Amino acid sequence: MTIEGTQEYAINMGPQHPSTHGVFRMVVHLDGEVVTGVEPKIGYLHRGLEKMAESRTYTQFIPYTDRLDYLAGPHNSLGYVQAVEKMMGIELPERAEYLRVIFAELGRIASHLVMIASGSLDICGWTPWSYCFRDRERILDLFEMTAGNRMTPNYFRIGGVSHDVPDEFMPALKSFLDDMPEMLEEYQGIFFGNEIVQSRMKSVGILPKELAENLLITGANLRASGVQYDVRKAEPYSIYDRFDFNVPVLYGCDTYDRHFIRLLEIQESSKILRQALKDIPDGPVMAKVPKVIKPPAGKVYHRVENPKGEMGWYIVSNGTTKPARVRIRTGAFVNVQMLSAIIAGWKIQDLVTIFASMDLVLGEVDK
Amino acid sequence: MVSDILKVRVGELAARVNGEVEESLGELELTVDDRYSIVTLTEAKNFADVPCDFLHDLCGMDLEDHLEVVYQLSSLRGPQRLRIRARVERDNPVIDSATHIWKGADFLEREAFDMFGIQFRGHPNLKRIYMWDDFEGYPLRKDYVIESHEQRAVMRVRKEGE
Repeated sequence: MTIEGTQEYAINMGPQHPSTHGVFRMVVHLDGEVVTGVEPKIGYLHRGLEKMAESRTYTQFIPYTDRLDYLAGPHNSLGYVQAVEKMMGIELPERAEYLRVIFAELGRIASHLVMIASGSLDICGWTPWSYCFRDRERILDLFEMTAGNRMTPNYFRIGGVSHDVPDEFMPALKSFLDDMPEMLEEYQGIFFGNEIVQSRMKSVGILPKELAENLLITGANLRASGVQYDVRKAEPYSIYDRFDFNVPVLYGCDTYDRHFIRLLEIQESSKILRQALKDIPDGPVMAKVPKVIKPPAGKVYHRVENPKGEMGWYIVSNGTTKPARVRIRTGAFVNVQMLSAIIAGWKIQDLVTIFASMDLVLGEVDK
Repeated sequence: MVSDILKVRVGELAARVNGEVEESLGELELTVDDRYSIVTLTEAKNFADVPCDFLHDLCGMDLEDHLEVVYQLSSLRGPQRLRIRARVERDNPVIDSATHIWKGADFLEREAFDMFGIQFRGHPNLKRIYMWDDFEGYPLRKDYVIESHEQRAVMRVRKEGE
């Protein structure tokens, strides 16, 4: 509908734009300040990881997996190494499984903190941003003291983890978990209880349940639309079946709920971490694996619950040291489609919050 | 583990669409010809008791003598998993689009087109997604040679006056 005196026009947003969280470009069709449509243009960070995998050995590819969702590095590697282990039938020592879960869940908390932080920054809330980054810093310190790398620890190996954690790791993790309830209360008060946040986000960008399923949305975005589905519960991998945690689900389907569900997930992750910290046994951290990783010919499809959505690894082996095909199904790539499906009718400022609520990371969108 | 009821349903479907059923590492796999892909997907979506109604992944695959489109089906309400592989010719890879069944197949099919050159009939907007529009070749095919930028000359040559 064109109101008299206005005309429809298209403007370009990104790839260098502070609210697109990376090199994401969209062509926004506008009628006045009402958005009539969005065409996402991706590929600015395309590194061709799937092609690279075919010319590297199974072990050499592990560092690349960290760079998919660089805000939560460990969980990407978890999917990959587990897929290879499934093919080769490797059993892991207990301690390695626990360390993997600890790292994966720390990565999830770090990723969700960045999501809440940048969501607040997009509506000019500087204080919640600094609070979230202050706490995320402690997780990065934990990564750094173990692996020497802050965001992409490259800690997992096929058959375990590269080495045991240093002595000061467990006390530091414990004090982080002890401070967690207070942190969550702070975010709750300063961000989620804030009047501006609520008026900007509540009932904005509704993604109905049926549409979400039809668009193949996964992860927290799906759970904020009223579908209680989590791979950690539905198809437990690693040792997730040993922990007692809930899968939070919200029915608001709006931008606010997509942010709020991250807070609830941080709570559940810290529950898992507390149990893991209590139960972790001593022992070796690496299984006996052959010197040369050479899975038998065959294929495997392994899925894990990444912070940004479900990640699927389809690995085809031809019996040599290099994979014949590595296919990475990333959650964020499929979730992008949500934007053009629900954006019509909202204004430019809503476009920014709706985009933030999708929680994209371009490393995962572009592979 | 694959449930017996899913095995029966897939067996029945395989007989109708002339497909082969395989099982490996606890996953069920059905290989069909490209012309049966949509029938197979629709029927798998509407299986009684064990509907495989969520398209988890769609990707291309190069097997030297032919190409393949691999569909990973699952469900949000049950543990059933099914992989469907549709064979496509290498010289003229055309297959029906699954966007009518799942809107979300849009980007996944564009990616398969971009990387393998598989044409999806009935797709609303089949354009390259990662590579630029006038890029030549399909990078994930096995015969795509990885050379340096200069040797491959993939960069677009500027026209006069640009």
